[in-house]
Amino acid sequence: MLDEPYRWVEAIRNRREYLADQLKSASPVVGCAYENGLLLFTTTPGQRKLFEIYNQVAFAAIGHPADIEKLRKAIIDVAHVEAFNFSARDVTLQRLVNFGLGPLMKTAFDEIFRSPYIARVLVAELDPLESRETFYTIDADGSFGNSAGAAVLGGTAESADAALARQRKEADADSAGGAPADLPLDQALQRAMESWAVGRLTAEAEEEAEEIDADRIKACIQELGEGGQRVEAAVLDRSLPTKTKFRLLSAEELEVVTGAR
Amino acid sequence: MDREQDITASGDFLSLLKERGHLPQAPPVRPAGEAEGFATTEGTTILALRFRDGVLVAGDRRATMGNTVVYDRADKVLSIDDCSVMALSGSPANAYEIARMLEISFQHYRRSQLQEMSLDGKLRTLSRLVRENLPMAMQGIGAVVPIYATYEAARTDGDDAPEGGGEGKIYFYDILGAQFESVDFCTTGSGSPIIRGALYYLDRWGSRPLAEMAQEESLELILKMLETAAEYDTATGGFKPVSRIFPQVMSITASGISIVPETDLELLYQAHLPGAMQAS
Repeated sequence: MLDEPYRWVEAIRNRREYLADQLKSASPVVGCAYENGLLLFTTTPGQRKLFEIYNQVAFAAIGHPADIEKLRKAIIDVAHVEAFNFSARDVTLQRLVNFGLGPLMKTAFDEIFRSPYIARVLVAELDPLESRETFYTIDADGSFGNSAGAAVLGGTAESADAALARQRKEADADSAGGAPADLPLDQALQRAMESWAVGRLTAEAEEEAEEIDADRIKACIQELGEGGQRVEAAVLDRSLPTKTKFRLLSAEELEVVTGAR
Repeated sequence: MDREQDITASGDFLSLLKERGHLPQAPPVRPAGEAEGFATTEGTTILALRFRDGVLVAGDRRATMGNTVVYDRADKVLSIDDCSVMALSGSPANAYEIARMLEISFQHYRRSQLQEMSLDGKLRTLSRLVRENLPMAMQGIGAVVPIYATYEAARTDGDDAPEGGGEGKIYFYDILGAQFESVDFCTTGSGSPIIRGALYYLDRWGSRPLAEMAQEESLELILKMLETAAEYDTATGGFKPVSRIFPQVMSITASGISIVPETDLELLYQAHLPGAMQAS
C-alpha cells in the first residue's frame, strides 16, 4: 500500500480526519497567567485532566484517557531522568517538548499501521523567580508551538482560537486601562471560565456565523458542572514555599467562582 | 525515543535509570585490601534522637581522607522529602548519589502514580540503593551507612495506630542494605562507638528517657555528644568558634522539617558548653 506516494498521503489524510473526529467534542482546557503564576481550567466527565510533571511544570490534555496517561508517563520519565543527570533547573519545557513530547507524538502519528496518540497536549511552565509563564501546545501529529501568558486546547482549531482571542481581547483591555495584567486568582478564574465558554460555544455552533454574546456565555457558565461534568482547575503558584509549585484547586475554592453547586 | 518505552506503567525510577543506561556500572568485586594506597574521602559522626515532638537528626561537618581533613563544612544531613531526612556516614561521593536518587525516586513515584510512596516503599528503595553500592563497599572504597528518619502521621486505620498524633521514626542500614528500626536513638560513623554507650546510659538511667525530652534539652544533649565524639575521633569535627563551623541539626515534627538555625545553636553552646566557645 505504501509503495505508492499517493496512498501514503491519503493514509495521512485519513488519520487527520479520524483524529479530528475523535477530539472534536472535547471540553477545552484554558491556560492563563495570574498574579502568582498561572492557572489551568477545564471540565471533565470524571478522570483527572490536569497534572503535575515537575516542580514548575504542569500538564493538561484532551483525548483518549489511556493515551493521555502514556504521554504523561513519558514526559514525567524524561523530566526526572534529566533532573537526575543534570539538575532541577535543567528541566525546562523547551527541552521536554522539543526533544521529548513533540518527536514522540510525531513518530506515533507517522506510523500509519499503528494507532496515533489520540490526544492534544498543553504544558505550562512557571519561572520560579520572574513573572514569566510559558505555554506549549502539541497537536496529535506532533506539531507544537509556544506562547507566553495564555494558551487554549480545544476540540477544534476554531474553538481554541476563539477562546484564546477572547482572552487576548480582555488582556488588551486591561493594558489599555493602565491596569497591570496580574489578576488575583478569583478574577483569573472568572476570565478563564468565560474563555472556556467561548471555546465550548464555538465548537457547538453549527454555523460559524452564529454570534456568541455575553448572555450565551453567561448561560454556558451557569450550566457548568451539570450533565455529569466536573470543574477542574490547577495553579502553578510561585508563592508556594515548597519546591513543587503545582496545586489543584479545592472544590471550595472553585465554588466561590462557579457558584455553589 | 522507543515507542514502547513509555508504555511500562511503573513508578520505579531506579529501573528507569538502568533501562536507559544512566546507572554507573559498579566495578567488579576484588578482595579488600587491593585498593590500599587509594584513600577515599570519609569520616563522620551522625546521630538521630527521638524527642517529645518528633526526631532530631544531627551530624558534624568534617570530611577526611586518611589523616587529611578534606573539608570542614560538609553537609551530612539532607532532607529527602517533606517529612524525611537522611544522614550519611561513609563515603560522601556515594552517599550524595544515593540521596539524590532517593529524592528523585520519591518525586517520580508521587507524580507518575498520583499517590505518595508508602513508608515501607521508601525504606525498601533506600535498601536497594545501599545494596547496589555493595561492590564498592566490599572493596573498602565507598561504603555508605545511612540513617533515615521520618515522621509518620497518625493513621486512622488499624488498631496499632499511635494515639494523639503521629510519631518520629528512625531507621538505619548496614552496608549490605539490611534495614533496622531504632527505638529511641541511633548513631553511626567513626565517632559513634564513643557516644553510643553514653546515649544508652542516659536513656536508661538519666533524669528522663530521651524520647520524653523537649527539643531544647535534646539539642543540648546532641551538641554535648558531638563534642565528645570529636574529642576522641579525629574524623569528627568539633565546634570551631574561630571559623564559626556549627554542626548541622534538623528537626522533624508533625509540621514538617525545619533546620535548627546556627544562632540557636550558638546560644546553646554559650549556655551549656562554655568551654567549647573559648577553645581556639
